[in-house]
Amino acid sequence: MNPEFETAPQPMLNDLTRRSLLGSAFIALAALPLTRAAQAQPAEQAAVFIEKTVRELTAAVNSGNSTKDKASALQTIIDRAVDVNSVGRFCLGRFWRLASPAEQAEYIDLFHRVLVQNITGKVGDYQGVSITLVRTVPREDGVAVTTTVTRPNSAPSRVDWLVNAESGELRIVDVIAEGTSLRLTQRNDYASYLSRNNNSVRALIDALKQQAATG
Amino acid sequence: MPVSPRRQKLSWLALAVTVAGPLFLSACATPPPASDPDALADFRETNDPLEPTNRVFYAVNNGIDKVVLRPLAIGYRAVLPETVRSHTHNVLVNLGTPVQLFNDMLEARPRRAGDSLMRLLLNTTVGVGGVFDVASDLGWPDHDSDGGITLALWGIPNGPYLFLPIFGPSSPREATGMGVDYVVNPLSWIGRGPTVDALGYSKTGLSALDARAAVLDDLDKITSQALDPYATIRSLYRQRRASQIDTVREGDQATVPAWFSSVAPAASPATPVGATKP
Repeated sequence: MNPEFETAPQPMLNDLTRRSLLGSAFIALAALPLTRAAQAQPAEQAAVFIEKTVRELTAAVNSGNSTKDKASALQTIIDRAVDVNSVGRFCLGRFWRLASPAEQAEYIDLFHRVLVQNITGKVGDYQGVSITLVRTVPREDGVAVTTTVTRPNSAPSRVDWLVNAESGELRIVDVIAEGTSLRLTQRNDYASYLSRNNNSVRALIDALKQQAATG
Repeated sequence: MPVSPRRQKLSWLALAVTVAGPLFLSACATPPPASDPDALADFRETNDPLEPTNRVFYAVNNGIDKVVLRPLAIGYRAVLPETVRSHTHNVLVNLGTPVQLFNDMLEARPRRAGDSLMRLLLNTTVGVGGVFDVASDLGWPDHDSDGGITLALWGIPNGPYLFLPIFGPSSPREATGMGVDYVVNPLSWIGRGPTVDALGYSKTGLSALDARAAVLDDLDKITSQALDPYATIRSLYRQRRASQIDTVREGDQATVPAWFSSVAPAASPATPVGATKP
């Protein structure tokens, strides 16, 4: 566990509404010395941001619209809420520095398309999903907002949304499902592909092109 | 000659071969030269020195999965309704609870051991041999506990990645834990005779189907979306196990159960998030 969390005042938030979130945060803030209050601020903002985003997500997924409309609504939310540049750069790891600026741009563009495609392609599977916020945990690289995701006919699962403002605005930079980080898994996938293809970023770009075309 | 002892001998042989096999066959991956420190760091982090051998077993398992297990799992899901499958799952989970309890105790987690004990007692009796998971509804949730987690909590290092035939992703520590779990499982030793054997095989077969059917969609998604499914599964497996181990390590439930001070036992079991897997 993050040692900071032991001391930082993160209230347990079940069945969260915005009002109760703000209320709890206010109480937590009031109980704190000013230095602590300064730390709690981003956590509160992150929780509000994720609360808003998951509400939009569940509304889009559970709406009665056609699959195509759902997919485009989902894409709008992804584009607004996810820091795709940061995630893409993370996934390329040390190879980001080895890539030329043109390759970097091409890679990010393809990465974005494949990411959206992978998420929106399965939009039908998420029908009936509900998400509740549980708590926030400050981390070195941002704030992790823990949620419980419930889908029909399956056990509830824990999903953490890692949020930071490195791009200037609050954005999601990682989704951690039951302890598995999606961006880390993707990075390991790319790294292995690269190491088996002479560390050629060009080869990775070609593979992504194929994914974007076939998906 | 009675069948059972032979079956047990065979099981042991199978276990020994699967655990030790890769070590003998070990075609080793060549580490990158020291002149490329980044690549070398990647290689060490991946910690898969037996990668070439592992990939062979991965391919073999995939072949078996493609022609046998996956079609069977699809059929299992198509033919049996969700209710039957979830009750089957409950029975299998219940049969594994003694081993879970044993590991809870070795992990020095009394609250979790209490959960396991209550689950075993309630689900076996009120839950009609484990068909119904009544204990979860009453505040004794299922949780992850096995030999691998126990050894991790005892400070045994994980060791390199192993991809075992049949069993799949593993490591020396995980494989050892699995072997210990097999040995301490009463079901591995109880009874002799064709009926018990038949039940044993049925359980093994059903467990395989149950586990495979549960990951049908996820595994299909991984193999279709990953550029290198082998590496993706390696990463997912490692992260998932690390997270399970962390959950047990941090699972510092109070010794007095949450319901003790409240009125209704069925009230939400107020455990810290992450301490229990719902």
